[in-house]
Amino acid sequence: MANDLGFWTLQALNALQLSMLLFLLSIGLTVIFGLMHFVNLAHGSLYALGAYVAASLAAVGGFWMGFFLAPVAVAGVGILLYSGLIRRMRKSGPMAQVLVTFGLIFAMLDLTRIFWGDLALAIEVPALLDGRLSFLGVEYPTYRLFIIALGLAIIAALAFVLGRTQIGAMIRAGVDNDAMAACLGINVERLFFVVFCVGCALAGLAGAVAAPLLSVTPDMGLQILIPTLIVIVIGGLGSLKGAVAGSLIFGFVQTFGAVLAPQLASVLIYALLAAVLVIKPVGLFPAKG
Amino acid sequence: MLETRNLDKSFGAVHVTRNVLLKLERGERRVILGPNGAGKTTLFNLLVGELTPNSGSVHLAGEDVTALPVAKRARRGLSRSYQKNTLFDGLTVEENLGLAAAVHTGHATRLWSDSLAKPEVREIVAEVAEQVRLMPFLHAKVSEISYGVRRQLEVGVALATRPLVLLMDEPTSGVGPEMAKGFHDLLNGLPRDLTLLIIEHDMDLAFDVADTITVLNYGEVVFDGLPEEARGSKLLKDIYLGSWEDA
Amino acid sequence: MFRHTPLRYGVLVLLAAAALFQAFTAEYFGLEILTEILILAMLVLALDMVAGFGGMVSLCHGALMGVGAYAYAMLTTKAGIAPPVAMAGSVAITGAAAWVIGAVCARSHGIYFIMATLAFGQMAYSWVFEAPVFGGDDGLGGIARLDLTMIGLDLTDSRSFALFCLFALGAAYGATVLILRSGLGRSLSGIMHNEQRMRALGLTVWRVKADVFGLSGMIAGLAGALAAQHIMFVSPGLLGWTVSGEALVVVILGGLGTLVGPLVGAAAFVVLKHELSAVTPYWHLVVGVILIAVVMSRANGIFGWVEARWGARIDRRVADATRKQQPGEVVSDA
Repeated sequence: MANDLGFWTLQALNALQLSMLLFLLSIGLTVIFGLMHFVNLAHGSLYALGAYVAASLAAVGGFWMGFFLAPVAVAGVGILLYSGLIRRMRKSGPMAQVLVTFGLIFAMLDLTRIFWGDLALAIEVPALLDGRLSFLGVEYPTYRLFIIALGLAIIAALAFVLGRTQIGAMIRAGVDNDAMAACLGINVERLFFVVFCVGCALAGLAGAVAAPLLSVTPDMGLQILIPTLIVIVIGGLGSLKGAVAGSLIFGFVQTFGAVLAPQLASVLIYALLAAVLVIKPVGLFPAKG
Repeated sequence: MLETRNLDKSFGAVHVTRNVLLKLERGERRVILGPNGAGKTTLFNLLVGELTPNSGSVHLAGEDVTALPVAKRARRGLSRSYQKNTLFDGLTVEENLGLAAAVHTGHATRLWSDSLAKPEVREIVAEVAEQVRLMPFLHAKVSEISYGVRRQLEVGVALATRPLVLLMDEPTSGVGPEMAKGFHDLLNGLPRDLTLLIIEHDMDLAFDVADTITVLNYGEVVFDGLPEEARGSKLLKDIYLGSWEDA
Repeated sequence: MFRHTPLRYGVLVLLAAAALFQAFTAEYFGLEILTEILILAMLVLALDMVAGFGGMVSLCHGALMGVGAYAYAMLTTKAGIAPPVAMAGSVAITGAAAWVIGAVCARSHGIYFIMATLAFGQMAYSWVFEAPVFGGDDGLGGIARLDLTMIGLDLTDSRSFALFCLFALGAAYGATVLILRSGLGRSLSGIMHNEQRMRALGLTVWRVKADVFGLSGMIAGLAGALAAQHIMFVSPGLLGWTVSGEALVVVILGGLGTLVGPLVGAAAFVVLKHELSAVTPYWHLVVGVILIAVVMSRANGIFGWVEARWGARIDRRVADATRKQQPGEVVSDA
């Protein structure tokens, strides 16, 4: 089995699929941090919310309705959070932010339980993406290939927006030095708001696409939070490159670790994170020097 | 006592110090002059180890310390004050001095005794407070003393490690001319065997204190000699006095 | 720098009196809650030492407590070591683990420090969860309590055990105050106020941070050893990151950097949790909202708020009163 090329292709695809899911979550978190120096631990709760909204909408209007509307709904919640809490917490230190968003995790956890109950919800893979496709010599679930393609498309889109457009240039300027960007006439507040909303929408999207793979439970946000944080800390806060690299490292180490050294698998990724922090305390590709 | 050999540092394509040679004898008081951006503070950061040079070396009391980290150089007798106050803001003047003195006496890492209550530490604190005229403010918090007194404390904290060489980055930065004069009297009153390297902006005041003068321009040493020679130097007038008179 | 103000002494005496009163009068359920408070108080004391006085906001203290609990459980059940030795051993093991974590994380600051400690905590959690020797998800049971019958205390009795925990907490508090007032503790607050300057003065900053983190870990380990004896059972959940998060919440709700505040916070948190969970299954929501409100109000927790409001006045009154008795003497604790 170990020498079977197909087996390794399958594992690589699994790793890639996990990486792309983590990327959708971590890119929002990392750019929000890079731009606003804001640590949003409740990002995982937004992901859970996306999954719940998608599950509810899917029950009414099918998968695609959830897929398209869940990000919008989560972005809406993001707007509420931004104007109610986050705008006021921007100048506070990281600890205050960690605590407020920790409080948000508690609150949102129970709010989802109040609205949707404690039982796990399930959501069907849409007919279009059901079944398996032959890919690189292996039979692989179409839906997982769809997640990989979606992740790659979003990486490409973000790379284009950040690298080639005016708003991208403004975001990069803001990450680099927000005071300077404000002096150059960029409306930094508005920029923060837009970036925060897009980050929330992507978290909602991640929840919506993850819903058919995992069961939708109140604590799914807590479970995804730690991997997401590891991704952005390994990658370095604030950069697209860091989020991509961190996601791939996490996905591959986790997946291949589980195959090659099941005893060590769970410890491996944390050991890697510790190693990165010792050698490069600000991660591999931080947005700033 | 303190010597640099061909010290070079660049950030990307920008050369901030070029080939800097400095040699201070024990007890020498040297003032570094130069316009803004001449690389004076960068030179200090290279000397104390907050920056690593691209090439060249730093020697303290005859030993090459280029590879040593900041803390180790400090323990060998190299101390510095900062251009912008770098104090322990929530603490009292006495505690500020005490923390520094405790590092020098080795009490700073002891678990079984209170460093600030140690007689050796208290002795240094009292002595330094006398030297930098902080006696009336010992129990005041940093936030409660005026900016000028904070500048005194800035030097006091550096002195409380009982250094061999003291680097002072614009000790009179931001204080009025009256007070700056008082500051220079204070510097003149320091023990004669202490080697001083001072960045100063105000030329006349610099002449009060200096045994020797070094002028930096664009990261290079363009003058090295006695104050009297500096006063008459045409070169110095062009690059430094010109900009000073404009200001 | 840590100072005992009259207000702090007063609250401390009140807390001790309340705990003693509870220990002697309460029934089984009340004693269980008291013991829970005392153990949490010890953990948050350890956390306040590093977070409140060294700026090291750790998200692995829950895991450190778990390490102490598992060390005690393993030493007594698997290695057959006598409970007193096992307690000392678990304190030492946790301290050593914390020292290593502190040394590795010393270069990280702010959010990176929080994340780095979180990573180490999760590493311990995963290891305990996965390795069969630790009993995996099922945990380990049959953990013996310390035998103190020679001094007439039967620790299998809830009341005696609560008193024992109170004594241990008192000792831990005393040790924490001594550490913060030592040369090491003074240097730590120097680092918190200005790390760059401490380094420029010649202090090996990472060593000081690691040493204090190790000492704090020893206290967390003691809390763990007591927790293992309290419920006589350990499970991986003890090491989960939400335990660390809750400990941090308690420190903040109580008042960071006041030592006394977090003790108040621990009592408030446990009581609130029990009262609320009796009324509603959604007590997390209430705690979350309170937490957000406290942090948004910018007060330094419950105790910090009390100190800011009345601390100066009370201290002045006490100072005036003592001055009348001893002319020429100024009350100071510097």
